[in-house]
Amino acid sequence: MSSEPIERRVSYIGDRLRGSRCGICGKEYFRTKDYCGVCGRRSFGKMKDVDLFYEKGTLEVCTLVKEPTNKFTKLGPYVYGIVSFHNGKVRVPGRLTDCILREEELDLSSFEDRGVVPRFRRRYAVEQSDIIPTISLAFTFTDEYYPHQKYEVIKPKKEYETPGIIGYGVYVPKFRIKEGPMERSVPFVDEDSITAAVEAGKMALIHSGADPSMVGKVYVGSESNPYAVKPIASKVAQVLKLGEEERMDGVQGVDAIDTEFACKAATSMFKDAAALVYYPGARTPCAMVIGTDNSQAAPREELGGELDFFVGYGGSAFIFGMYDVIAELEGWYSCTSDTPDFWRRDLEPYPRHGGRFTGEPAYFKHIVKAARSLMEKLKLQLSDIHYFVSHQPNVSFPIKVAKALGFKEEQYMPGLQVAKFGNTYSGSSPIGLAAVLDKAKPEERIVIVGYGSGAGSDAYSLVTTSQITEKRRRQKFTVQHQAENSHIEYVDYDTYKRFKLGL
Amino acid sequence: MQNRFPAIIGVGRTKFGEHYEREHENLVEEAWLKASDAAGIERKDLDAGYFSDYFLQITNKVGIEEGFLSELSELHIPMEKMRSFSSALLNACHAIQSGKYRMVLVGGVEKMTDRWDKIRDDLMLLEDPWSYYAGCTPEANHELMLREYVKKYKISGGTLEKFNTALAQISVKNHQHAMKNEYAQFQREVSVDVILKERSEAHKPLGLYDFAPISDGASALILARPETAKERTDKPIYVVGSSSATDYITFPSREERTGFVASTMAMKNALKGARIRIEDIQIAELYDQSTLLEMVSLEDLGFSKRGGAWLDVYNSCKDYHGFYQINGRKLFVNTNGGLKADGNPLGATGGAQVFEIVKQLKGEAGDRQVKPDEDLQFGCVLEFEGFGTKAYVHILGKGLA
Repeated sequence: MSSEPIERRVSYIGDRLRGSRCGICGKEYFRTKDYCGVCGRRSFGKMKDVDLFYEKGTLEVCTLVKEPTNKFTKLGPYVYGIVSFHNGKVRVPGRLTDCILREEELDLSSFEDRGVVPRFRRRYAVEQSDIIPTISLAFTFTDEYYPHQKYEVIKPKKEYETPGIIGYGVYVPKFRIKEGPMERSVPFVDEDSITAAVEAGKMALIHSGADPSMVGKVYVGSESNPYAVKPIASKVAQVLKLGEEERMDGVQGVDAIDTEFACKAATSMFKDAAALVYYPGARTPCAMVIGTDNSQAAPREELGGELDFFVGYGGSAFIFGMYDVIAELEGWYSCTSDTPDFWRRDLEPYPRHGGRFTGEPAYFKHIVKAARSLMEKLKLQLSDIHYFVSHQPNVSFPIKVAKALGFKEEQYMPGLQVAKFGNTYSGSSPIGLAAVLDKAKPEERIVIVGYGSGAGSDAYSLVTTSQITEKRRRQKFTVQHQAENSHIEYVDYDTYKRFKLGL
Repeated sequence: MQNRFPAIIGVGRTKFGEHYEREHENLVEEAWLKASDAAGIERKDLDAGYFSDYFLQITNKVGIEEGFLSELSELHIPMEKMRSFSSALLNACHAIQSGKYRMVLVGGVEKMTDRWDKIRDDLMLLEDPWSYYAGCTPEANHELMLREYVKKYKISGGTLEKFNTALAQISVKNHQHAMKNEYAQFQREVSVDVILKERSEAHKPLGLYDFAPISDGASALILARPETAKERTDKPIYVVGSSSATDYITFPSREERTGFVASTMAMKNALKGARIRIEDIQIAELYDQSTLLEMVSLEDLGFSKRGGAWLDVYNSCKDYHGFYQINGRKLFVNTNGGLKADGNPLGATGGAQVFEIVKQLKGEAGDRQVKPDEDLQFGCVLEFEGFGTKAYVHILGKGLA
């Protein structure tokens, strides 16, 4: 049982940790207030919004919770405490997340007085048919895997003639499972494709320096939305305050839409986002494309269970615009055929592979066709392309397809990330693209070819600009930071299954 | 001078613990009958009823408790329901003092074990929804307050060990007291060693033996105008001071987190109303939902100095003689076993606290009867709703001969 109005009000405040500051005395409050408790009526209209979502807090005191209330039992033992912001001007209750506690070596005082950052997570467990409750009163330490990064809105300087990427972000959690040569990212038990979408979007905003109110449209591509009906994009738009905020009406002035086409749900929308920001008079300075998946796989012993060796978890977000572009989108080519190589029927929990079409003629045919046609269209030689990125369902396919197209290791290896994170479905080739953008120099050409089962491919050619190096220092949470991090925690298969299943 | 104070002319209660075979109104009935019997009154003497239950609506899906009681007692008098016994008593005192009623019933009940599997969720949600959303439990805020206290007063090393022992001693002491209380939920002793071991095995600053249990039970008293009281009894116990105060629902948002501001304010105003000093209070029933709360309440109410209550407890309990020795004075605390051992059926708890002070002041506490240096004159009762969100203080006094 859940109440839609209560859910709406709690998540509106809690997802972004909205608060207020008195414009007269400066007193701060968690939760929005129309007037200050100290200054009374004269502070009406003088209260300022303070959102703690991007802020760094301090865990002041904490304790261990081993016997939680009923809805929190799936979290396992966790640390709960008081988090202060702005030098103690405001305090909130919170729990530590991304934390597998080993009680025998537990020293609670070592957790106290350390910096923490709010994380957007599922609040607690509910019935399968209920609205999914979320909140950002979950925290992780800033000196561990996930750093605190200031979000500074930067005034746009240079307008480009061609639309392109103005900022991007990738989010994978600190948990991994290692089986054989491949490492795969594993969500914490309170994560899902919605939370990864918000995290990736947050990272992209931080990197771009774009004002969130400039984002006129957000696309979220996923094949693991925990809802059959209800968009992820609406949550992203509200939490990240995309589009003009219409406070009185309680809406954001943004178009938000979820897209689905297996693993190309996000990459397919790159051209739509670019075209939209280019459209004269549309007043959509920026558009955000997110790919997010808690990649699904049947249990190993069941039909389709072979995927359980390859699936990962994570999200990516790209913001397109005309100002301060880091990579111009110079052209694209898309192709589609009705090839049933991978599907999931409604109400089925896991997707299925037929086996007959996997690889050839599904994956290889479409990627090769899209890549070759794009190169012909733009009259590109192999030597004109510095980096080649393709969809990465496993380690062998992307290498095989790159070689078939004639690319060399130095062209395709930088974007090959699947061995570190697993197949992140809608986030797969975008994470490869992000890894390349993290390293690329100005004036380099990147060809990325997404693939979605069902089947189709989108090939894009991007050319980096001088802004790529300037904007780089704004993002600490790079693909490499997440791939090679001393705080990565490896989990066993049972933990992986439990985390993956979620709250 | 005491003629203006409402008087308690009879008290009654049930045993606290698990009463799964009985309906809530039957528990109230038992306590009510005992109180009426003690006061020597009939149903027709009652002008009104003030009742309390914290969350019977949630635990037992009881909407209008007054209706059950009307049906049971065949009474059609005005009845009102509050959340805590102290709140019902406070409102009953106001009604008596205003002259509206001559004699009223005050009763409280709770049936927590009927909802044992969801009770901690209910407790936490009612205590503060935002803390609940963040993962708080009914115990966690006590432990956070402990951490705040330890850090504020820089308690560490050997001193911290003593501090932890002092908190365990509170539980040991309350269990000892409950041995002599026929109504108590736990009539058994615990030792400091067991408490410390349980905490350390759980890796928790406070453990199982530091917290009050969940309980079923009821309590009641008859409150009357002083002149009416004198017609009925030679030993009326007057409510000479009563007050309450409120604080934020969200504990982490409060400025003061090593105690409850509401306790301090309620006590100050209650003393003012009673026109007595803190030193005049010889016996106290404190709301020990945890051992920590008994300790900090000693400071909040003004018995111990800030940061010093644990040492008062520690020094008193090294060789315990039935009371705390604070500033050279004896203070008897939770002689019924406190919430820890007597039990804590929320809506009835305050009634059991008042029951104890009344019995002690009248000299009818049997084996538990305290023996202060001077004649026992004044006792106080502290009760909370939520985690210090509301605090009620009642000061009870004997009539001067």
